Amino acid sequence: MVTPNGHGNGRAALEVTGLRKAFGSHEVLKGISLTARDHDVVAILGSSGSGKSTFLRCINLLEIPSAGEVRVKGELIEMTQRRGEPAPANMKQVDRIRSKLSMVFQQFNLWQHMTVLENVTAGQIHVLGRDKAEATEKAEAMLAKVGVADKRSHYPSQLSGGQQQRVAIARALAMDPEVMLFDEPTSALDPELVNEVLRVMRSLAEEGRTMLVVTHEIGFAREAANKVMFLHQGLVEDEGEPRALLANPNSERFRQFLSGSLK
Amino acid sequence: MDNVVEYLPLLLQGLRTTLLLAVSTVVVGLALGMLLAMAKLSDHGWLKRPAYALTNFLRGIPEFLVLLVIYFGGTQVLNSILPPGTIEVSPFVAGLIALALIFGSYASETFRAAFQSVPNGQIEAGRAYGFSAWKTFRYIQLPQIWRVAIPGLGNLWQGSVKDTALVSVVGLDDLMRKSGQAAQSTREPFTFYLVASLMFLLITLVSMWIIGRLEKRASRGMAGVR
Repeated sequence: MVTPNGHGNGRAALEVTGLRKAFGSHEVLKGISLTARDHDVVAILGSSGSGKSTFLRCINLLEIPSAGEVRVKGELIEMTQRRGEPAPANMKQVDRIRSKLSMVFQQFNLWQHMTVLENVTAGQIHVLGRDKAEATEKAEAMLAKVGVADKRSHYPSQLSGGQQQRVAIARALAMDPEVMLFDEPTSALDPELVNEVLRVMRSLAEEGRTMLVVTHEIGFAREAANKVMFLHQGLVEDEGEPRALLANPNSERFRQFLSGSLK
Repeated sequence: MDNVVEYLPLLLQGLRTTLLLAVSTVVVGLALGMLLAMAKLSDHGWLKRPAYALTNFLRGIPEFLVLLVIYFGGTQVLNSILPPGTIEVSPFVAGLIALALIFGSYASETFRAAFQSVPNGQIEAGRAYGFSAWKTFRYIQLPQIWRVAIPGLGNLWQGSVKDTALVSVVGLDDLMRKSGQAAQSTREPFTFYLVASLMFLLITLVSMWIIGRLEKRASRGMAGVR
């Protein structure tokens, strides 16, 4: 599918092949593959326990996959075995790749001891090695973009959930990521604050950011994504173009999930 | 009063030694406490168990005994390894080792609790943005650990300042010993012990003020603090 904002036109930004993850004897992911091209917005749906968050966290190695490959911009994340367990072969490579995969968390996870501005400059300075002036300029632009420029000197504890999540998105944008990973970004928000965050995410989708979004917001998936993936019991149960698929799922389980989540 | 003026340089000399010992104790003790706390939180039993054993042992016996064991035992042990007479543990070094070990043992518990108070999500966010383990520690964990640890460490510092007085017993020329000497020569024990008390009080009052400032500074951004 080709759209004006470039959805589906780009080269592969993220390729995941045969990803598996087990916690002890419990297998959460049973072999998931996904290719996201530049400018793709992939919505990942699934009921709780389907493994969707684990899948996202395996991509940037917050969870270590039991098997499978992850490539970012063609570069394979090298894995090895340590004491019989899979482990990253090269933490420097992992840190470098992580800096290209900004994550937005359900609980925001802003650094509590830093001001809003410092939250958005810290990664730029300490990870990307930008100087303070450059990082500040970038941070101010990103805070303006998500509409919280006036809060730059506040601490996270002084902000509402919606404002905190927008700061977290600014923090992610400031890293100039190749792919943005959203882990249920609106699930911890009061209902009246959900829209301010979704609005920002929609504008990012429209400007052609490559995004993977684990979400319960079917509306967002339908209107902002160009691909939907439905996970069930650790497998891809259904996937496709959002409008067609959401109107007429191939899978009976997905149909049930959708009818259950309609408000 | 004349005696106080006469002996003041002597007392100030003692005060200098006391302060030097107390500050050195804190510097070494903080590093030791941090390392012990990390060992206690480690997944490896071979790090965890000795750290707990050491700190439980040191916290379980009187400070004074730790000092005596290190002063007398230390010299004996070194002399049995090296040719006799080559090295002697000075009162200052013995005092520093004993007080730093004690400070470190208590500080390890303060740090351990402080480490655990930093929400895991904060650390995860650091790692997810490409901060290495060290950078995550340095820029995300450490500033938040300080905030929680400062009040407890402040108490330990006050304790260490006062414990330095014990080291006078093994011959350190600290404020305690100097005031004792002055008291004996002048036969005015009350005057000189009072002066020494005031000097100790001055140290603790000034340090309480400094710790208060540090605490306020480190608490920026924390809920309830504006």
